[in-house]
Amino acid sequence: MGSNSIVNAAAAATATATATATATAAAGSGRSSGKLLELLNVRVVGSGERVVVLSHGFGTDQSAWNRVLPYFQRDYRVVLYDLVCAGSVNPDHFDFRRYTTLDAYVDDLLDILDALLIDRCFFVGHSVSAMIGIIAAIRRPELFLKLILVGASPRFLNDGDYHGGFEREEFEKLFAAMEANYEAWVQGFAPLAVGADVPAAVREFSRTLFNMRPDISLFVSRTVVNSDLRGVLGFVRTPCVVVQTAKDVSVPASVAAYLKAHLGGRTTVEFLPIEGHLPHLSSPAVLVQVLRRALASHR
Amino acid sequence: MATAAASGIHLHDLPEPILTHIFSLVCDVRSRNAMSLACRRWRTLERATRTSLVLRGHVRSPFLLPTCFPAVAHLDLSLLSPWGHHPFLHHHQQPPPPPPLYYHHNLAEQTALVAARLAQTFPRVSSLAVYARDPSVVAALAPLWPRLGAVRLVRWHQRPPALPLGSDLAPLLAACPALATLDLSQFYCWTEDVPHALQDHPVAAASLTRLDLLCPASTEGFCSSKLADIVAACPNLIHLLVPCVFNPRCIEFVGDDALLMLAAGCPRLSLLHLVDPSTLSPARSDSEAKEDAAVTGPGLEELFAKLPQLEDLALDLCHNVRDAGPSLEMLSYKCPKIKSLKLGHFHGVCKGAWLHLDGVSVCGRLESLCIKNSADLIDSSLVTIARGCRRLSRLEIHGCHKVTEAGMKKLSSILRSTLVDVAISGCQLLDAARSLRALEPIRDRIERLHIDCIWVLPELDQPPQTPEKTADDSDVDQVDEEMSEESRNKKSRYRDGNDGSNESSSFWLRTWASLRCLSLWVPAGEVLTPLGDAGLESCPQLEAISIKVEGDCRTCPRPRQRVFGLSFLARYPGLVKMKLDCGEAIGYALTAPTGHMDLSLWERFYLHGISDLRLYELDYWPPQDKEVNQRSLSLPATGLIQECLSLRKLFIHGTTHEHFMRFFLMMPVLRDVQLREDYYPAPENDMSTEMRVDSCSRFEEALNTRLLIPD
Repeated sequence: MGSNSIVNAAAAATATATATATATAAAGSGRSSGKLLELLNVRVVGSGERVVVLSHGFGTDQSAWNRVLPYFQRDYRVVLYDLVCAGSVNPDHFDFRRYTTLDAYVDDLLDILDALLIDRCFFVGHSVSAMIGIIAAIRRPELFLKLILVGASPRFLNDGDYHGGFEREEFEKLFAAMEANYEAWVQGFAPLAVGADVPAAVREFSRTLFNMRPDISLFVSRTVVNSDLRGVLGFVRTPCVVVQTAKDVSVPASVAAYLKAHLGGRTTVEFLPIEGHLPHLSSPAVLVQVLRRALASHR
Repeated sequence: MATAAASGIHLHDLPEPILTHIFSLVCDVRSRNAMSLACRRWRTLERATRTSLVLRGHVRSPFLLPTCFPAVAHLDLSLLSPWGHHPFLHHHQQPPPPPPLYYHHNLAEQTALVAARLAQTFPRVSSLAVYARDPSVVAALAPLWPRLGAVRLVRWHQRPPALPLGSDLAPLLAACPALATLDLSQFYCWTEDVPHALQDHPVAAASLTRLDLLCPASTEGFCSSKLADIVAACPNLIHLLVPCVFNPRCIEFVGDDALLMLAAGCPRLSLLHLVDPSTLSPARSDSEAKEDAAVTGPGLEELFAKLPQLEDLALDLCHNVRDAGPSLEMLSYKCPKIKSLKLGHFHGVCKGAWLHLDGVSVCGRLESLCIKNSADLIDSSLVTIARGCRRLSRLEIHGCHKVTEAGMKKLSSILRSTLVDVAISGCQLLDAARSLRALEPIRDRIERLHIDCIWVLPELDQPPQTPEKTADDSDVDQVDEEMSEESRNKKSRYRDGNDGSNESSSFWLRTWASLRCLSLWVPAGEVLTPLGDAGLESCPQLEAISIKVEGDCRTCPRPRQRVFGLSFLARYPGLVKMKLDCGEAIGYALTAPTGHMDLSLWERFYLHGISDLRLYELDYWPPQDKEVNQRSLSLPATGLIQECLSLRKLFIHGTTHEHFMRFFLMMPVLRDVQLREDYYPAPENDMSTEMRVDSCSRFEEALNTRLLIPD
């Protein structure tokens, strides 16, 4: 696992609506937290006592939550940020030596929360952010009141009895397409391959991956595919809500059951009767109801 | 020539005032740029006579403004980069600007400085266009030029909700009392704003002579009381363009009384466009109207009686106006100067029953006629119109379902000497091939053309086999028989799937010798390649093409080819400008149900082959996902556009990722690129999916620091 970063949040960070905080403490990662807040486009909107962190999945950015956000602005303080690989973040800041595993993303998340002086929050994570949330909750259990995991999976590849949803060959085809993308990109030419040129199983999952810069997306998809969180699920003490759509090509229904069985804290599973891997984009109204229920209590 | 050189006469021997006058008559920007490179004298002359300037690029610091154009009278600041963000805009909703890494720091202090510098650099500005996202922009600029005569405001972003009524226009009207032209056709504001501002500033309102309020962004029109307020405030109007509430079910609808009040208030009107707001939206509206309008024939007669100066009239309604014939005859008597007419949902426009002229055909001086959604317009109506309006140079028919090929053909043969601009759209009996056949008589003269790309009408699949099926006159008969032979041959060629043109000799090629601008409407999922077989085989002068794709890609049938067929257009050698508008094609962007094509695949379908065209300028509207209000360029679209190596100007009317934009840097002569989200609502900075202000700045920096591009 990565190093646990220690942050001295000694800054006068204001967490009022629409302000970007300007914390000046130096983080163990070598960047000031203030710069991090600016780099990752951290935004705090809404007002309320409780804090909700919305973390998006690969290939989109925080604007994926736009249709869900208005429902929570009145009652909660909502923190939105972009993952470092999102298209809206200056790609020069993607450090290939640092972001080799998911731990670096967890570092970023924890740095942001510390810089904003948040000590307890709800975390809503989609796809890979769900994985990030799980690791973060293991490292700092007191920080998270509840984890809401949308489209989450501890491991995407099938392994013996475990059905993750994908075979290695399907991912290899995906990687081949992404590498062709990368080769063309290095030459300076935009490739013509798209997320739909890959096998149907990985199509929905990878559609957004092709919106990222080819070198970064190749890099992070290897990171994601090679992660396996099954072993550490038991260390999670935080209560969790696993949100699963009825037909998600990337995440089979059995994964939700697996998560419920293995997550260490109290876990409930919510099934949405809709199709797709991005319910916050395709059916926000349905997702909002589930989120409301989940955020109403922290037990 | 030799004698001239021998006697030593040179252009420079002309007196200075004459040379200056010659230079001031040149309008084309590239020609002027070339002239200024000839010698120093020419450069001085050119700089001193340039009167129109569009500022592009990022006005970072005051010293970067060009100071060599003292004579500029028309200044366009609406396209400054990044588009929609103003360099000295203090946007209230945004967080305080980040540390001074990019160019937005110290905005407040810069405002006054930049404004002063603008006034100093362009002292003679009389016409201004500016992107006014916020009243502060107009408040900063309007006082610099108190004698401003014409202003065009642009805003596609949302109106700040907390603004008091009319505060967008108030600073302008207060500072420029001599304002004559106000163009708000690209400015989104509420309908309450305009009369409020005009009433508060009576001096400026009274000096207004041209007022354009036709903004496609607003879906509501002006009700009769607001119209009355505007008319009362601006009695000197000569041009008025207003969207009105014509629906008789609404409170304060605009009917005969409101129109009369309008005419009484502004008797000097020469251009009057009153349209229903739904006609302004980019999507095609339903041609069926259920209800009648409150505007009636007799009411219109009284209106025309009060407006003798009328030259250009447009009444584009979505409700039926019955028996319009007599009122149109009255139009011809009372408004002798009438030249241009546009009528929507008017019935009885021209009955054409007997040999005499009736209805609109009495208006003999008409030069431009547009008839939309007239259910009873038939072939004999068209023929009568052709016989009556002998000066007609522009004809547009839309949604007239009873008009057939025979009628159009007779019209075009009668108007052969004047008709140069024809648009046929939405007519059920006129598909592409039939429309083009109907325009045979003017094939060598027509300059602008619009057709819908409907290739084969399902129920009229057979070419006319027997002469009885065609129209009454015998000469049309014969022509039709020949045409049916040809069309049968063409049909078999089309079915064979070969590409025709290299096999038939040029004698048989149908040449459209004067066609310069072509406009096509394509339903979603349809392809472009049958265009040649339909009739547009050779267009040697064609320079600009505009293609609009409209429909629901989620439910349309699968296209019959793998590609749309843009490479087909390579057969038109002069084609340099293209507008490809897929903005009304709806699809799935980031998440799609299984088995459906998402928008990246559709963009690949539409843009494939664009590298075969020697395009100079491209305007592209990406297809949109209405659910998430996203119009974004995808990766394959970027790749395909990037292959079009001759492209010099590229305007994308949507958003895209920064790293996609970087691919465009590989295009060798690309000079001018901008993302213009000119649709409502334009994405706000902090909510936009991809391009943020910083990304735009970085990209432009990279674009401008490349090696020199030939001028």
